[in-house]
Amino acid sequence: MSDVTSSRATFEAPAVPDGAVPMPRNRRHTELLMLAFSVVVVGFAYAAAGLGLNDKIPPSLVVYVGGFAVIMVIAHLAVRRLAPWADPLMLPLAALLNGLGVVMIWRLQESGRGGNPGSQISTLTASSATTQLIWSALGVVAFILVLAFIKQPRVLQRYTYTLGAVGLVLLAIPALLPSSLSSIQGAKVWIIVGGFEIQPGEFAKLALAVFFAGYLVAKRDVLALAGRRVLGIDLPRARDLGPVLIAWGASLLILIFETDIGTSALFFGLFVAMIYIATQRTSWLLIGFLLFLGGSYIASTLFSHVGARVTAWLHPFTIANLNCQIGAAHCVPSYQLAQGLYGLGFGGIFGTGLGHGQPYWTPLAQSDLIMTAFGEELGLTGLMAMLLIFGLLVQRGLRAAIAVKDPFSKLLAGGLAFVLALQVFIIVGGVTRLIPLTGITTPFLSQGGSSLVASWALIGMLMRISDTARKPAPQPIQDEGMTQVVRAQ
Amino acid sequence: MNRALTRISLACLVMFVLLLININYVQAFQSSTLAGEPENSRTFSQQFLIKRGAIYATGDGGATVIAESRLVKNGGGKYQRYYPEGPTYAPVTGYDSVFGKTGIEEADNKYLTGTASSLGLHNFISLITGKPTQGSSVSLTISPKAQKAAYQALLSDGGHEGGVVAIDPSTGAILAMASSPSFNPNAFATLDTGKLAKVSKRFNAASNNPLLSRATQVTFPPGSTFKIITSSAAFSTGTVANTSSQVPAPTNLSLKNGHFLINDDNGPCADGHPQIIQAFWLSCNTAFGALGMRLGGATLHKYANRYGFNSQLNVPLPVTPSVVPRSEDAPAFEAFTAIGQYNDKVTPFQEAMIAAAVANHGTLMTPYLVQRIQAPDESTIQTATPAPLSQPVKPSVASDLTQMMIQVTQNPAGTAYLTANKSVTGGIVIAGKTGTAQNGVNNTNLNDAVFTCFAPASNPRIAVGVIVKGGGFGAAAAAPIAVKVIQAYLGKS
Repeated sequence: MSDVTSSRATFEAPAVPDGAVPMPRNRRHTELLMLAFSVVVVGFAYAAAGLGLNDKIPPSLVVYVGGFAVIMVIAHLAVRRLAPWADPLMLPLAALLNGLGVVMIWRLQESGRGGNPGSQISTLTASSATTQLIWSALGVVAFILVLAFIKQPRVLQRYTYTLGAVGLVLLAIPALLPSSLSSIQGAKVWIIVGGFEIQPGEFAKLALAVFFAGYLVAKRDVLALAGRRVLGIDLPRARDLGPVLIAWGASLLILIFETDIGTSALFFGLFVAMIYIATQRTSWLLIGFLLFLGGSYIASTLFSHVGARVTAWLHPFTIANLNCQIGAAHCVPSYQLAQGLYGLGFGGIFGTGLGHGQPYWTPLAQSDLIMTAFGEELGLTGLMAMLLIFGLLVQRGLRAAIAVKDPFSKLLAGGLAFVLALQVFIIVGGVTRLIPLTGITTPFLSQGGSSLVASWALIGMLMRISDTARKPAPQPIQDEGMTQVVRAQ
Repeated sequence: MNRALTRISLACLVMFVLLLININYVQAFQSSTLAGEPENSRTFSQQFLIKRGAIYATGDGGATVIAESRLVKNGGGKYQRYYPEGPTYAPVTGYDSVFGKTGIEEADNKYLTGTASSLGLHNFISLITGKPTQGSSVSLTISPKAQKAAYQALLSDGGHEGGVVAIDPSTGAILAMASSPSFNPNAFATLDTGKLAKVSKRFNAASNNPLLSRATQVTFPPGSTFKIITSSAAFSTGTVANTSSQVPAPTNLSLKNGHFLINDDNGPCADGHPQIIQAFWLSCNTAFGALGMRLGGATLHKYANRYGFNSQLNVPLPVTPSVVPRSEDAPAFEAFTAIGQYNDKVTPFQEAMIAAAVANHGTLMTPYLVQRIQAPDESTIQTATPAPLSQPVKPSVASDLTQMMIQVTQNPAGTAYLTANKSVTGGIVIAGKTGTAQNGVNNTNLNDAVFTCFAPASNPRIAVGVIVKGGGFGAAAAAPIAVKVIQAYLGKS
């Protein structure tokens, strides 16, 4: 697609007419090329997993990779139509992660099935990867809906308090429901309806990010300027501390009632980061950090499940902890963490190759611990590449935040990009024993529809903001007939 | 807000850098520590998921599979070890079980599993090409003909307890290592740990000790075969000039402690002054006892050591050292040492080494079992190079010893004439020495039968050591076994 067509362009070197601002390129072709690359990588990964398991290229390759390619091409066409100026890298990066996640879930589901090496994983069925692919399609639908219905990110500002209420309700539902309808493996973060499991926290994260952005944009002057200076630090007024304390309290409540440390940390971290972006006052970071430390300390002493995570983190390899049952008196279960670490070590620098490792030893290798399965079979090199993909995605989001002019959009994009980074840090840091392991999904990779749909909606928001930022301002038409600019699009 | 966003970007960068540093630490530096964790189920089950290399016997020119890994049906990609002729080759291959390994399976484990550092490049290439790591194959010098003949001979006549070792004298290549009673290593190859525990318990409790290789791990008294070493010392030191030199052989040889040493028939040896060659084919105790007293314990000890006594050998299977004690502290027993009694102890392996050294003009080649190690792509990782271990005697002495050993089988009065002469063996001239060793408290047990030999005498291609526990006369029980092995190997059966 040529950006600028001028009558002189055919015979003169500078294609840009005098006095006209060069039309930036929207890079949709780049996006398509990179997207094709993502699909090819996913296709090869799928073939490699099949070859690794039973020396055969899986017959379902055409269906899976073809289906995946169709989904992503639809996403691309939607972007061309709905957000032509959006960042060209976000969609290919998200697609690559999503595709690799489906491949790994397929590889895990096939383990021990039909004469393949390894043992069967009881938490997976023969159609888990198909389900994940369907959820990927629904994720892309959510992505397209976000782009279609939110033409201007600013529009969301109108629904600040509505979305705040929605977010809190979503967070609170699992705590209020009976355990039979909300608890899976000790984490009370689900809504279980007729066989469907929804993790409302994933969507609450997005709603609350919008609420925080709207609230903070409205209040940022008072939060930033009012207050006293003590010991070189600008302290906010006591009454302005309210929102931070509410966020802190809410995150503690999640911790207590839903035994979900990961979401609680994510939620609180998101709020502190956004209040800092809004006010640029370091004191908010300090207050947030102190509140987090205090809250963590109190939680770890008061609630056994928090303290247990810390103990398991410190002593994962003791025989007592490895063989510990949940709820036992003098030990903490560390089997899952240890198996994940064994897997990472087993993979070493180059990994065993897809299908050649033993990730089936690790409980929940398809969800919370999926990065250890990648680390085992793709090795340190593969794991670093995947972290860099996440890093790039975060970086593109932050780039959009810096580029966009409207403060609400800026704050929202910054918050969403940061929450993505924080989520990756909490779960990958947890499974690699950098920090205590807390159950939380790995964006785009983990098995589970809520996480996938919410992640795609997040990318949709970031791409909408990026589109707003990069869209060129309407240019006046040149009055000289000789040099009239004709847009190709 | 852009300044704060830049700082948030930095915070994100820090988080990712921390993650990257941490996974580098876990996967690159902690990898082997994690693999060594006692509860690491991956390390344990990994051994069944790689295709362990095969073991071949290549001593006859071809490549006979004696151990290989087969995919277990519906076993989830697990491999199980299979030994086509288990008991025959058990003293060589050993077994590969979930709990432990023996034999070549243990000695060359790192090649068979493909984890040897010299295989690093091959493993890297199979990683790139997506092929699973395979083990290297190990080709042994074992001759299937000789090995089968040896094991069948040990089983004949209702079965003997004993061991047979055959060596190519010019290279040191081990041609056969058979032991009886043997065991079936397939019993240990089961992946069912409960079953394995039972098998292991049963074999370890068995009173006949089938897991013990009589070829390399058990020592017996050498008996008169030790007279080869006594003769080596006598010729080399000039105590006896040549094979026709006369040596005193009284009916009763007085020992330093006042006791007497007598001959097997309680009479004098020949006329009491036989040529040493005659004393050798008749195997007179008093002649060699007297020689031992003249040479002294230290000299006997020295020459025995040159033949490989008193030192550990790994071929790469560990061979139990054969023993000749220093007899300074018990000079009365020099005469006993010289005829292979008292505290002399020898493995069939050592017996074969003695014959091999004589056959190879006095130079003992280092015995070896592994001819070649090949990576899965058939490229050679390692090949054996024959190397001398020691030179027990000069070629002229070896020639004298050969003359005497030929008389043992070819002279009608020789101890092994009836069982190993040229007409019995189908024209092959064997040079050998019999041994009939008394043992047990007050020598009340049946004698152990020993025979060490090489053939053909003029151009030796195989040296054999045989010991049959409680077999009686060496000539009667051990020599026929050696003859069968030689015939099988030289193709004259």
